[in-house]
Parts: sequence; C-alpha cells; structure tokens
Amino acid sequence: MIELNVAWMYPDILCLHGDRGNLLALKIIGEKLDVNVVIHRINSYGEDIDFSKIDLVLFPSGEIKVISKITEDLLRYKEVLKDKSILAIGTAGSIIANKTTRKNGEEIKGLGIIDIECIEREKFCGDDIYFEVDDFEMIGVQIPTMDIKLNEVKPLGKIKYGYGNDGKEFEGAQDKNIIFTNCLGPVLVKNPWFTEQIIKKAMKNKGVEIEKNINKEEYDYEINSLEYIKKFIAEKESK
Amino acid sequence: MKFYLVLWICKFISEIVNIIDNTRGTKLAGEIACKLYGDEFIGKFKNINPEKTVFVTGTNGKSTTNNIITHTLRMSGKTVASNLEGANLITGVATTLIKNSLYFGKFKKEFLVLEVDERSLVRVCKHLQPNNLCITNIQKDQMQRNAEPDIIYQVIKSIIHEDLTIYVNNQEPRGKSLEQFVSKVIYFGMEKNEKSFVKDGFYDITMPCPICNNRLKFNYYNIDNVGDYECESCGFKPKEDVEYAAKNINYENNEFMVDNVTYKVPYSEPHFIYDFMAAIVVCKNLGVEDISEAFVNFKNVGGRTGTIKYGSKELKYLKVKTENPETFQSTIDSIIADKTNKIVVLALEELAEFFPPFTNTFYAYDCSFDKLKDANIERYICSSRAVAYDSANILKYAGVPKEKITVVPTDDDGAIVKELNKYDIDNIYLITWSGKYKRLSKYIKEMPKQYEEEK
Repeated sequence: MIELNVAWMYPDILCLHGDRGNLLALKIIGEKLDVNVVIHRINSYGEDIDFSKIDLVLFPSGEIKVISKITEDLLRYKEVLKDKSILAIGTAGSIIANKTTRKNGEEIKGLGIIDIECIEREKFCGDDIYFEVDDFEMIGVQIPTMDIKLNEVKPLGKIKYGYGNDGKEFEGAQDKNIIFTNCLGPVLVKNPWFTEQIIKKAMKNKGVEIEKNINKEEYDYEINSLEYIKKFIAEKESK
Repeated sequence: MKFYLVLWICKFISEIVNIIDNTRGTKLAGEIACKLYGDEFIGKFKNINPEKTVFVTGTNGKSTTNNIITHTLRMSGKTVASNLEGANLITGVATTLIKNSLYFGKFKKEFLVLEVDERSLVRVCKHLQPNNLCITNIQKDQMQRNAEPDIIYQVIKSIIHEDLTIYVNNQEPRGKSLEQFVSKVIYFGMEKNEKSFVKDGFYDITMPCPICNNRLKFNYYNIDNVGDYECESCGFKPKEDVEYAAKNINYENNEFMVDNVTYKVPYSEPHFIYDFMAAIVVCKNLGVEDISEAFVNFKNVGGRTGTIKYGSKELKYLKVKTENPETFQSTIDSIIADKTNKIVVLALEELAEFFPPFTNTFYAYDCSFDKLKDANIERYICSSRAVAYDSANILKYAGVPKEKITVVPTDDDGAIVKELNKYDIDNIYLITWSGKYKRLSKYIKEMPKQYEEEK
C-alpha cells in the first residue's frame, strides 16, 4: 500500500482543541483511499526532523504563548517547509504566518512561509463557521482570537456564516500546498471530503495520483451533521 | 449615605425574594446593588478581615471545595458567610455580603469564604481582596469565552498581591507554577494509588510546561492532567515530600490518611479527595484542627450526578461541564467501571451558556473513548437537534460499531424515552449538561400517562 507520512507537530504543546481527532481522521480516510497514513510525532524542541521523509505537516492549534518558541525551533527548516504540504489549524496560523501582533503590541515572528499576518483581538466569542471551498461545503466552530490578514495569497473559502478571517467575506488561506484554516471541529473529522482532498493533494505533491473516490454514503454521519447544523445556523440567523 | 440606602433596599429585596422564590435568592439582591451602586458596593462593608477571607477559584471542584471549607469551619464552631449555591459572580458575592451584614454594613461573621468564578476574579478583587486564594486547578474549560487556559492563568496571576497565601495542587502543573509569583504557598496532593493510571498510547497528549513551554511528561495521573509530571527541558515537577498529601487511600472504606490522621469522607473519587485536601490545607492554615470529624457528615450541594427512575428503568445522570474534557473523561471512566449491561444516552446539545449558541463538540476528541467498546454497552442513543450526528461520529471514531448507535436528532425528551422503551435494559447512563437533565427529569416525572401510551 502506498504511504503518506504525516508529521504531527508538537502534539503535547499544540494541544488545545481536540486536534488528535484530525490525526485519526487522516488515518481512517487514508485507509478508505488505500493509502497507509504513517504518523510521526514530533514531540520536543530541538528534535532532528527528517522532513525529506514527510509528505504532510500538520500543525494543531495551541496557546499563543507557545508560538514564538515553536517558530524559533523550526527556523532551521524554513526552506524545506516551504515546499511541503502543510495544514495549520487555528492559532497555529501564527507559526507559518509572517508575524503575529499581540494585544499588548508585542510582535511574534512566524516562519513566513505563507503571506499572512495575525492580529490578536481584544474580545472574542466562539461561534459556528460555515463556508464553501471549491465544490464542497465545510462546517465547524471557530474561536476567533485573531484577525487574519491575507497579503499575496488566496483565501481557502468563502464564508456563508461565521467570523472567518476578519468578520468579512473569507475564511483561511492557501498558497501552493500550504493551507491555513480557522475551522476547528476537529476540521478533518467533521469535513471528510476536505480530508480526502488534503490527502490527495499531499500525495500529488509526492508525485502519486489517487484516483479512487470515497462513496459519499460512507459519510452519512458527517453529511447529516452538516445539514442539521446548517439548519441550526439558519434558525440562529433568523432570530 | 447612598451605600446605606442601597444596602437597606437590597436587604429588603433579599427578604422578599426568599419568601416568594428562594431559588432566585442567591444573586438578585446583589444584581440590584451592583446596578444601583456599582461594583464598589462590595468594598464598602466593614469588619471583613482579609486574613479570614478565602476565595476559592479554578476550573473544576471549586463549588465542592468551597462547600467543604465552609462546612468544616462551621463544624468547628466558627461563623462563616459563603455563597454555597454556586452564585460565583460579583452579584453572588454582593448578595452574600448583603445577607451577612448588619444595617450599617458591618459584616457579622468571622469568616468569609467565597467561590469566585475565574473570569470574575479581577472585578471582585478590585474592591475586595482576600489574603487566602485556593486554586483547585486550571484546565481547559469554556473555550467559547476562555479560548485557552493561559487566559485564566494570566487572570489569576494579575490578582496576586504581597500578603496573599495561595493553596495549590502540587500535582496540577498550571496551578502549582503560580508559586513563582507569591511568597507564601501551601501545597496539597495525593500519593499514587490504585486509581492512578498511565496514558502512553500513540494518540495520548499531555500539555506544555507552564514554565518553559516545552512538553510535560506524566509518569502517572490521579485524574486527567493531574499527577506526577516532569518537564524534561527545565526540570519543573511537583515539590517533593509535601506535608499535605493523601496517603493510604482506601476507596472501599472512603478513607485516606494525612499526617497520621485518618479522614473518613462521604465521597472518595480521586477528584473529591483533591477537594478534601484543598479544604484541609485551607482550614489548617486558618487555625482549625478538628477537621476529620467535620468531613464525616459533609453533604455536597448540587454535584455532578443524579438519578431518574421510571418503571423499572434507572437513568444515572453524569454531568459534563460544557467544553471541559476532564469532566467528560470522568463520565466515560465511570461508565467503563460498571461492567453490567447498559444503555448510554449521549445527549450533548448546542452550547448556549454564552451568546451566540454554537455547536462545539471538539473537546470530546481530547478524551479517550477506546475502552467503551469493552464496557458491555448494548446500545448508544445520541440525542439533540444540533449535534446528535456529531455525537454519533465521536462514537464511530472510538470504534463503536454503527449498528449499536441510534441517532435521535431532536431535543424532544419524549423521543429519548420512546427509544429507551424499545429495550429491556434498565441500567441507563445519561451524559449531558445539567439543563437537559433537569428537563428530562421534569418530563419523566410528569409523563406517566403519556408513557403508557407510548409504550
């Protein structure tokens, strides 16, 4: 079976929002696509990481206070990371961004491998997020602790409900194989069609085309979840 | 003069409310006082001794700890004012002061023991500063408004002053690390015991070190995220040979020992033992010695469990605090511990504690559901209009076969009863928030006729 090697970045440090579910989703959906997803835990700072063996790098969300240390640790791999398939979720956007401005004005430097900036917000409240990506819809929740400013990159999706990058039109960012999303859920659990796309793109970046498509019936829980939450959102908007 | 007027009005309101509807008596008078006078109201009372004032804060266990401390002080003959019913915002604090003061604002009790919501600490401490702060633990909780535990950590850090004594769980890393900001710290803990456990699965995660932000390693846990930890990078770990650590824990007899004294307690789950330990260190430091006698007859108000009975069926309610993985894990562990045949009702609903309501369920993926598979669960019923399918998905990810899962995508309490009536199993576990538990209890209490029809 063909392999997809995933680097699970600092799981004990970036541990905020149930992101271990995302790894389980990659494993389960990989199996359905006949791809053996092999997960490599990158546990501590200073660890030697052989990125030549990694096909997808996953940064889960974490407390903002840990970001600068992570960025510092990964600067040595900045060039190699630029060409990798990467998914950064929630506050992990700060790791791959150019910089993050904190509420007190302090600036945290990111790796600068995607042209976005993060600005910490004074006040926030978590809410649902519902948006369109290419030919599918995505659902999840967002804790909008930061505004995300996109420079020379495209958004990931168009907001249908929720805050997204800055309370306006768009959600997330993408540049070549690097993707950032605010969507929690865990995002890959709640949106298996997105997970399928992530796996296929990472495999393509590795030079392997996956032609198999998963029968949508296998996603009945997720499709129903999407529909019921859309209904819930519609009721919320009508009030 | 304005303070006295507001106090008199609110004392009068407090009396009236108690006569008409005593369920509203915990905060209404305080709400009105803060509206009429402002937050400064709570700082105007005389005769409050900061050395005999204790605030209990933290993520889990603050109500129980607050109640144990108050009970123990009272049992030793002290007079205590406290917000025992969990009204832990500034309005609840104000109500407690209104009820426990004379007409000219003189506080009439010796001790003031208050549970204070983490987010209200700054607002309360601006006008009323305790010299004793008991921090039960700082965990992931209410992410919708808190986002991350560090936000609460910073709040607690910001209220520390030079006369403050803090009481912290030696085995809870975030709380313990607050020691670096204060001059007087009293630690409590629990020795490794038969309920201690190890998590070393591939998908298990710990937390960042509160000192250096590298990863913490746990040698064992007593409850989730609390146990024997060590940072391989900076060496941060629990203090050794802590005087107040529960030893010789006997869960069967509800007993443990501290400093050669045996404590017999009414509840002995590990999280309760930590609450009792917190109360021991606070009470000892306040000069109370005869603590063990007081614990014997302690009764918890509220609590995380309950039972609903109808026909031959018994629904055991296990409360999950919203967006709180630790309490979710405790409920799962309780279910796994019962090896008899059972049905599990997972009635997670949208979270409506704050505005806007939303459909978060991600906290469940911080928990380990794997052992549910082997816990003789005949049927899972996932109910709620918004997140029933998400709940079913959580179970699917835990390896539960789909044939065992029924999805009931409605908030209708009758739908749960109707589904339960299809099975001959009487042992039922209900995992939900307290609001849903109350609604379902009420429905079942009033339903006999309906139930007959449905059956």
